[in-house]
Amino acid sequence: MERENRFWRVVLLFLPLSVFAVFVVWPLFSSFWYSFTDWNGFDPNYAFVGLDNYARIWTDRLFFGAIINTALWMAAAILLPTLLGLALALLLDRQLRGARIFKTIFYLPICLSAIVVGQIWTWIYQPDWGLLNAIISFVAGEPFTHAWLARPGSALWSVIVAWSWQQTGLSMVIYLAGLTAIPSDLLEVCDIEGASPWQRIRRVVVPLLIPSTIVVIALSVINSLKGFDILYIMTGGGPFHSSDTLAMHMYNESFKKYLMGYGSAISVVLFLIALVIIGFYFRQLKRIDEIYG
Amino acid sequence: MRSMADRRKLHLTPWTAALIAILVMLAVLFLMPTIGVLLSSIKTTRDIALGDLWSIPGQLFLGNYAEVLSNPAVHRYFVNTLIVTVPATTASIGLGVLAGYVFAKLPFRGAGILFLAIVAGMFFPPQVILVPLFRLFNGIGLIDTLWPIFLVHTALGIPICTLLMRNFFATVPNALREAAILEGASEWQVLTRVAIPLGLPALAVLATLQFTWIWNDFLWPLIFTQSDEKRTIMIGIVNLKGQYTVAWGVQGALSLIASLPTLVIFLFFQRYFIKGMTMGAVKG
Repeated sequence: MERENRFWRVVLLFLPLSVFAVFVVWPLFSSFWYSFTDWNGFDPNYAFVGLDNYARIWTDRLFFGAIINTALWMAAAILLPTLLGLALALLLDRQLRGARIFKTIFYLPICLSAIVVGQIWTWIYQPDWGLLNAIISFVAGEPFTHAWLARPGSALWSVIVAWSWQQTGLSMVIYLAGLTAIPSDLLEVCDIEGASPWQRIRRVVVPLLIPSTIVVIALSVINSLKGFDILYIMTGGGPFHSSDTLAMHMYNESFKKYLMGYGSAISVVLFLIALVIIGFYFRQLKRIDEIYG
Repeated sequence: MRSMADRRKLHLTPWTAALIAILVMLAVLFLMPTIGVLLSSIKTTRDIALGDLWSIPGQLFLGNYAEVLSNPAVHRYFVNTLIVTVPATTASIGLGVLAGYVFAKLPFRGAGILFLAIVAGMFFPPQVILVPLFRLFNGIGLIDTLWPIFLVHTALGIPICTLLMRNFFATVPNALREAAILEGASEWQVLTRVAIPLGLPALAVLATLQFTWIWNDFLWPLIFTQSDEKRTIMIGIVNLKGQYTVAWGVQGALSLIASLPTLVIFLFFQRYFIKGMTMGAVKG
């Protein structure tokens, strides 16, 4: 019996594990190797340059700009989609006619591609006829033509808002799933004891949603590290690199300047940051599992 | 498990009315961007340039759609995207079924660590494997073909597919498998005749998720293809934007048409889609 099991394990795992090893695990480790070389992208030969690429990171002003932008992106990702998703979930978690339609509207953006979302929001920010300026002009009573995506001060934030618009639905769905797991007797006790709706939400519901919150925040942070497609179409990291993220900077150095060795060094840094976050996430998930089964 | 919704019925009070008003306002805000694209696609570029994008048009202008649909490049983008998306969706699910079955029904020493390592793969930014993959495919002459996109999406789909299939197969009673094996069935027969037919809901979840992600992907076709003959639809949108920088109506029409397959899947299989999203996120 056990011999047969061993046979089937090998047979069934062979294909998935080899594909995963060749196209994911091996490239991951090779990235470390190429980060010590000066490969330029097309020359079959390259030289080993030791820690030169990592030394270069320290003097790369654009790299630090990208790190700061990625951190800002993460902070916004923690605040905007999480709070808005929580608010929407709390509003929709009751028997309301048409609740389903509202839910569909709020998570519809998830199925759109980042490219289409970027395209849509580029028009909202369009200086001459964009919706945002039209509204501001209307409210202020005078023409307003700020070029949101073309100014270093507002480009990054404008993209972050567009990105949050897409992410909010995901947070809402996770919170809604979390809400269904709250035992009903607890809420009945609140009603019997005469708690106000606000007290019920603040003292009972929100504390019980901490596991969902961890998942939402971790996913938002992980997704924000991947921030690339939407930036590519909305600003391309510009103007003057003011909206570069690490992922964008890595792409530019590797595939625009053909500094693949240096790009690999940046991707190693990106990998290490992701590793820390994912490690933290998995530990929290384990703890959630232990508490809530 | 009943949701909280069933227990707390709402009666029409001022509080409820306010709540509904807030929801409607938020819903309008959320729909606005999508409506904007819809409106742009049925207006002439001249109207849009005159600042008239956001009003309801007096008459329907279908010229943008005609222009997009008669463009042979757009046909090519669509065919290329399908050629990549359908096989990569199928292959990644197939591989996930195989691995998920082993992790659920044939556990072994070290299986937990191996499983965790595979699942971790779905959280890393794809940039960390970009350069070596580019060198690999460049070396074997597959750059500017659709092969690398198919292969990479198949591999990158393995974590989520393995995760969901393992979780699903874990709910299939062991007694079922043991009974079948006592009857003389092989492990392969248990998998294909018992486990997979029971796993159809999980397969539907994965099919919707994988199709949407691969269809919408931008990074891999950007890296691996160069000529317009091999580009996929998302790159096509960006190219079109570069070709005529002011043909907003045409861009709007193409954006909508490019989103149509995933929109349709989403609207019809919403339940599966959301299940996949939440299961993938929570059950690490």
